[in-house]
Amino acid sequence: MRLALLLFFLSTQFVQAQKVDADLMRIKQRMDSVKQFSAAVTLNLDVPFIKMPTKRVQIKYVKGKKMAFSSDDFVMLPKRGLDFSLNEIFKHPFITVDRGIEKRDGRNLKVINVIPTDGKSDLVLVTLYMDTKAVRIVQSEVNTRKDGSYTLLMQYAKNADILPDYMEAGFAIERLKIPLNFMGRDTKIDRKKMRSMDTKTGKIKMQLSDYHIAMI
Amino acid sequence: MRRLLQAELLKILKQSKTYYALGAILLIELLIFITAYYQGSAILDLLLNNLRQSFYFEGTLLNGNLIMYIVLNSLWFNVPLILMIITSGLMTDEYKDGTVQAVMLQAVKKWQFIRAKYITAMVFTVFVIAFMMLSTFALAYTVFGTGDLVVYIGTLNFFESKEAFRRICWAFASGAIAMVFYSVVSITLAVFIKEAAKTWIAAALFLIVTNLLLKADFGLAGLNNVFFPKLIDTWQQLFYYETDWLKIGVNNALLILYIVAFAAVGIFTFQKKDIG
Repeated sequence: MRLALLLFFLSTQFVQAQKVDADLMRIKQRMDSVKQFSAAVTLNLDVPFIKMPTKRVQIKYVKGKKMAFSSDDFVMLPKRGLDFSLNEIFKHPFITVDRGIEKRDGRNLKVINVIPTDGKSDLVLVTLYMDTKAVRIVQSEVNTRKDGSYTLLMQYAKNADILPDYMEAGFAIERLKIPLNFMGRDTKIDRKKMRSMDTKTGKIKMQLSDYHIAMI
Repeated sequence: MRRLLQAELLKILKQSKTYYALGAILLIELLIFITAYYQGSAILDLLLNNLRQSFYFEGTLLNGNLIMYIVLNSLWFNVPLILMIITSGLMTDEYKDGTVQAVMLQAVKKWQFIRAKYITAMVFTVFVIAFMMLSTFALAYTVFGTGDLVVYIGTLNFFESKEAFRRICWAFASGAIAMVFYSVVSITLAVFIKEAAKTWIAAALFLIVTNLLLKADFGLAGLNNVFFPKLIDTWQQLFYYETDWLKIGVNNALLILYIVAFAAVGIFTFQKKDIG
């Protein structure tokens, strides 16, 4: 009886392990064909308690390496969300679950859940909205162990484009804990307002232009 | 009048107290520099800790503009205290040395004499703020370079380097008016009190009370907007992300009116008072 149960358990695991969505694999293959790229990014931060002017930064991606940034100004870039190659998902084993089709802006998007099967993965659950016709990801909702949850929205200029021209990363952010000695003397502490600002949702909007893409 | 002013300016240039004051301001700047150099990154880390969880930072915020902003914060207490001690000395020294009687024996009108004192105090105050501004600019940008400024006033405000520099310059200009106000008050206090030590105590008390009243809510919007303790921090408003230039202009204009009023009280009292 025990042996039968064990065999059943192992067989279900085997079947699960095979369940990696074919469309996701196509998108991954397409993204892997990008050897390197560089682009100019215009950043707009939308967080209730942070006021920052529009920033510009140059990004450079080389396959297998970390994304590099350069700017003359001080810029804040999202830690998550710039993983164009989907390496973060493919770093550890996972299974996918088909969630059906959703219609967004007149397009049919295939929705899948990515569930890592390895405890080492920082990802808990990823929901991907894929444009299977254009072979690219349009939206993702990512839940991580360390960095909380975030969403990514990608827009593309042309149907054939492999990389987005606009990205929007949404994330939860805790209110600032300001050391008193750094506060301005006329800074009034509105406790009610501060409590209501414990956790807020922030957005970073990125306009990407001047792409130089090298394909394999 | 010109002769009187020249004489007053010469007196202030000749007295050692003036150079002690400039030395004290340089010392304050130096201490801010040393603290910023060793602790600036730690303070910024603490300030931006929450953001560090979600963002990579590219570039540094520990730069000359942040140092300038920290130096500007010495306008709250340190600098006005030094200025009040020096400028009140313009009058108290005359009483102590009995030179006020000697001057009055000359063909000098009392109101002209006291007016020259007020003008000298104003010129000296503006000179000190300009000295402070230029010396900090030179040191801050040489040692720390330029870069974006981050300020916390209700929200975390970031200003690009050029914009930060522009705002800092305006803040020094607005701060200079507040400092002139304190200097004028100290002379008026000296006219009433005459004795140096007592005048210093009164000046320090005035400074402390003004700073305390700045935080007080008087309930009436009118009083909150026009009472002088509420106007002395106008320079700080230049670091709000959306600058209310009209309010800044009105506040500074009101502060100038207070300066004129305090000086008028001093001139009137000196004119009426027996100089003996």
